[in-house]
Amino acid sequence: MRLAFILGEIGSGLRRNLSMVVSVILVTFVSLTFVGAAGMLQLQINQMKGYWYDKVQVAIFLCGDGSTAAGCATGTATPEQQENLRTLLESPAVSQYINDFQFESKDDAYKHFKEQFSNSPIVDSVTPDQLPASFRINMKDPEKYQIISETFASQPGVETVIDQRQVLERLFSVMNAASLVAVIIAGVMIVCAILLIATTIRLSAFSRRRETGIMRLVGASKIVIQLPFILEGVIAAVIGAALASGTLWAVAHFFLGEYMSKQYPDTAFISPAQTLLLAPALLALGATLAGISSLLTLRRYLRV
Amino acid sequence: MIRFENVTKVYDQTARPALDSVNLEIDRGEFAFLVGASGSGKSTFLRLVLKEDRATSGAVYVAGQNVANISSWRVPRLRRGIGVVFQDFRLLPQKNVFANVAFAMQVIGKSRSIIRDTVPEVLKTVGLEGKEHRMPHELSGGEQQRVAIARAVVNRPGILLADEPTGNLDPTTSMGIMGVLDKINQNGTTVVMATHDDDIVNEMRKRVVELRNGVVIRDEARALYTSMIPVVGQSRRLKDASGRPDESATGPGDGSVPSSAGESK
Ligand SMILES: Nc1ncnc2c1ncn2[C@@H]1O[C@H](COP(=O)(O)OP(=O)(O)O)[C@@H](O)[C@H]1O
Ligand SMILES: [Mg+2]
Repeated sequence: MRLAFILGEIGSGLRRNLSMVVSVILVTFVSLTFVGAAGMLQLQINQMKGYWYDKVQVAIFLCGDGSTAAGCATGTATPEQQENLRTLLESPAVSQYINDFQFESKDDAYKHFKEQFSNSPIVDSVTPDQLPASFRINMKDPEKYQIISETFASQPGVETVIDQRQVLERLFSVMNAASLVAVIIAGVMIVCAILLIATTIRLSAFSRRRETGIMRLVGASKIVIQLPFILEGVIAAVIGAALASGTLWAVAHFFLGEYMSKQYPDTAFISPAQTLLLAPALLALGATLAGISSLLTLRRYLRV
Repeated sequence: MIRFENVTKVYDQTARPALDSVNLEIDRGEFAFLVGASGSGKSTFLRLVLKEDRATSGAVYVAGQNVANISSWRVPRLRRGIGVVFQDFRLLPQKNVFANVAFAMQVIGKSRSIIRDTVPEVLKTVGLEGKEHRMPHELSGGEQQRVAIARAVVNRPGILLADEPTGNLDPTTSMGIMGVLDKINQNGTTVVMATHDDDIVNEMRKRVVELRNGVVIRDEARALYTSMIPVVGQSRRLKDASGRPDESATGPGDGSVPSSAGESK
């Protein structure tokens, strides 16, 4: 009975304040979309880092089938060439600059590639043969990249030496800046959302002061009196959060999945499913914001 | 049932107290009028009983319990034991008669079947049979006040507080309302009614507590609105029961014996 009553009260409150409720939904929608966008950018950065990014700085790619580099005149790197490179890496002249190194065979490379590009159709058209084997080097001082590059670039069996960090770092710094901007906008919008929720609850409490006054007099408990107002704000905010989650999913599905992945087939993009991991966080954030904001408002404007 | 011990209520430090050292006891099942000019502290008295406000000093006991010791989450339970009606009825305009009364039961979690059984019974008590489905604007003032009374007593409170319940009604309608309140009192509910309607008080011949500027200046059983004791100053109040009936008393003076405050307790 009490539950049915509270639900009825929520319904009538939402109907009576429809335009305010819609604005709460929209403001939480926009603010949480920005929060989610920042989250998506971070997910995307992780996705692009791939298997090696946080472990090593420099990669020495060995010659593969179709390599055209000067050092690849003899075709695919032979086991002897590979051994020579390993010996060179372990020689004191080089080893003083590196912490350690690992060898990534074609099969390892294929495995890591499949993980990183799991969302991309490209994974079906790639075979282990097409991926080069490589030495992955963890530098003592990443700035000494030049020494490794000069030593190995001209070795037989080496296609190219890449400072992975340099390639991605600039892109990541742009993406990090973008997430920071998204977080700042989200912060401003969240302040808007909190104030708007507070105002909405206040108006709602005012328009129903007759009911709440009577409820107080006949001895309704604090929960019965306040819960409809709190849930009103929470429901509106959760709807906004759901819309934000849906928007993020749509961006991942249509923009990244359908458009960007065709434009940049060699980039690993996050999958729509990954954005859904953000949804519970957004819903919880929206509900918490609304709950706290309405509790504080009611404490001031709805005497019990 | 209600006991005030030396209760003072100050709203505004610069003004005189709304209630000033009030000592009063109202027994279970009693019917008491609280009379006095506007601003004499009648509503303040009722608000203190409901714990809508805190006494500045002194103690207010309701059903044996000092309301100052009731924690805020148990105040609703205190209020379930007290019904209240006001001059302005305070009905919910978009709910019909039945729903207005049922509202008081819904919000404290009474089951649908109990509500269905109890509400018509209470509406019968207040004389509104067959008007369950009327909207408040389709009712006369007297009928609206009956709905408000039904709502106040539907949860069977031990105390009914009425703050000028006849203030908006004509004399005939007012007497009808008094009949309802009397009936509720007969059923065992303690009734405290604030009023400055002298005809009603004179007609009812119940206990009268008179306030002036927050001070109890008279407390008489079966009394008239205007004191039959000449009140000269506060020092002579209550104890001075030997005075002759006041000339201005309009009610029937025969057989009414003014009693002192001590006897009326
Ligand atoms: N909420 C309040 N704030 C300040 N003063 C008040 C308040 N309520 C009542 N008063 C003052 O207390 C006095 C008694 O008021 P009240 O109890 O309402 O009298 P009555 O009901 O007998 O007309 C008046 O002087 C009034 O101005
Ligand atoms: Mg008053």
